[in-house]
Amino acid sequence: MSTPDSRRSRSSPRPTEMKTRAALFFFALSMLSSPVQVGQNRALKDDLGYSFQMSSPPQRIVSLAPNITEILFALDLGNKVVGVTRFCDYPPQALLKEKVGGMVDPSLEKIKFLNPDLIIAFRGNPIRMLTRLKSLGFPVFIFETGSDLESLFLMIERVGLLTQKTTEAHSLVTALRQRSEAIQAVLQSVTLRPRVFLSLHGLGLWTCGKESYLNDLIRKAKGENVAGAIPKKWLRYNREQLVRDNPDVIIVLAKSQADYQTARDWLVKEADLRDLKAVRRGEIRFLDENLASRYGPRLVEALGQLAGLLHSRHIGEER
Amino acid sequence: MTLAGRKRLLLMILLCLFLGGLLLSLLIGPVQTSARDLGNFLFNHDKTFSTIFLDLRLSRAALAFLVGASLGLAGAILQGYFQNSMADPFVVGVSSGASFGAVLCLTLGLNVSLFGFSGQSFFSFASGFAIVYLVYLLSQKKGVFKVETLLLTGIAAGALTSSLTTFLLFLRSDSYEQAVFWLLGSFSLAEWKQVGMVGLYFCISLALAQSLAKDMNLLVLGDEIAQSLGCPVRRVRKIFLVVSTLLAAASVSVSGIIGFVGLVVPHWIRILIGPDHRRLFLYSALAGGVFLVYSDLLARVVLFPTELPIGIITAAIGAPFFIYLLNQRR
Repeated sequence: MSTPDSRRSRSSPRPTEMKTRAALFFFALSMLSSPVQVGQNRALKDDLGYSFQMSSPPQRIVSLAPNITEILFALDLGNKVVGVTRFCDYPPQALLKEKVGGMVDPSLEKIKFLNPDLIIAFRGNPIRMLTRLKSLGFPVFIFETGSDLESLFLMIERVGLLTQKTTEAHSLVTALRQRSEAIQAVLQSVTLRPRVFLSLHGLGLWTCGKESYLNDLIRKAKGENVAGAIPKKWLRYNREQLVRDNPDVIIVLAKSQADYQTARDWLVKEADLRDLKAVRRGEIRFLDENLASRYGPRLVEALGQLAGLLHSRHIGEER
Repeated sequence: MTLAGRKRLLLMILLCLFLGGLLLSLLIGPVQTSARDLGNFLFNHDKTFSTIFLDLRLSRAALAFLVGASLGLAGAILQGYFQNSMADPFVVGVSSGASFGAVLCLTLGLNVSLFGFSGQSFFSFASGFAIVYLVYLLSQKKGVFKVETLLLTGIAAGALTSSLTTFLLFLRSDSYEQAVFWLLGSFSLAEWKQVGMVGLYFCISLALAQSLAKDMNLLVLGDEIAQSLGCPVRRVRKIFLVVSTLLAAASVSVSGIIGFVGLVVPHWIRILIGPDHRRLFLYSALAGGVFLVYSDLLARVVLFPTELPIGIITAAIGAPFFIYLLNQRR
């Protein structure tokens, strides 16, 4: 069987600029994933630094997070997935899979019953749980959230490596990257970056900081995250600070239109927030949480939506 | 009924409840299993079912039993020690102290282990002991314990260490699950290794407590009388303090804080078979174990398939009882 390396080298030729990027990318890939001489002993390290021994392609995969499930289905591994969490609702076929529990409280015995040969975990799954799964003899591979789209692409490639679907992973990443570049190309002539406050739950002022991939999305969508300088992934923003920042647009991440309405009503009612520029002008926009809060392939779609929300006029003209 | 008869009856009931609880624990779980599956596993050695029944469900029930037994015994000891029936590892603050030690050890990353005696259990023990000693110093005046002072110092010490624990958990990134585990308790990740560890501490403690039960009976009369009756008061007190802390710390380090077991159980037992510590210790341990096996079952089925932290169940049963006791004292 061909090693991931040899498959990878076959996937050229490409334009020169793509080549440089690809070279950089694979350099980063080799640095981060450190496949210790893949092909000889097939040892990988997961994002928490635990080494992982690869064997034959996995046939029974349990996914412990919705974004992992999405990546697996996107890599055409839907038929190999035997267990998912109760939050895994995309693609719809994922709903038909056996549920092992939530992200924080998956059931060990459910997992044992499904008898997986690969468990893919994500940050948010309790480490104690994952350690226990390992002690039961299951191969567990843990992924971390990255801070931008590029690290998502890297993660998808690594899932490909892990499941021995490198070709599929590579073409998925290529497609996603092209789509993301196309979106950014449309915005190329935009010079004015609206100042954005992204509200994660609608109520309360949870937002994304510098280390969050959503910050990267806002940047790529030609916006400026008011919390973008704070070196954190997620944080509760200070009200006074928000009043001082006075953002042009407020993006509300919500599960549904109804939740978005609730958040909107709340912003309009709060005495200190209703005078914000964005609130006065009604620049409170809805972004589907299901798309944007998952570190998976649909993040590029979220980027498109975000670009539309921030620069609808501009994109309209281009079309 | 005579005392001997009541004792025998209680023992029978506890054993039946224990066996029933064990069977239910084996049969109830997220994976649907029937008595036939259990039979199949026993006679045909299905590997998947062997893991589910032995490594997941049986180990969990065993750990729940041992932790319950440890807490029941610790409660019985502390109630005798402080000469009042409101004491228990949770109320006195030992549990919170021990959980603080465990979390501190985790935060510092000192996860070393020697002969199953992990750095974590050492830290648990040390900080649990510090708390119980502090409470001891503050709540006694010339060898007499004032109930109010004992309860209030215990609550204050517990609140302080709990807030420190929360603070440490806040610093860690995976804090939600950790906070629930350390502050409300859970057996969802039980394993045989932990059963062995708690079992070992429990057996040593029970043997020590049982061998000094007679002295505990004397201590209840007051230190001076006990001394005059030939009880080495200071040494005995020291040993009991260490033993009860050991029990609480070992329990906490595998299951987080589970409150009120040590309060409720010895109380029931005392009502049923009287205050003689020679029996009280053993029966409290047994009943504590049974109590937690059933509490854990409840925690698993109330919101099925989601699990409740077991501390919620024991508090829901124990706290009203605590209030009832307070009311009785008036």
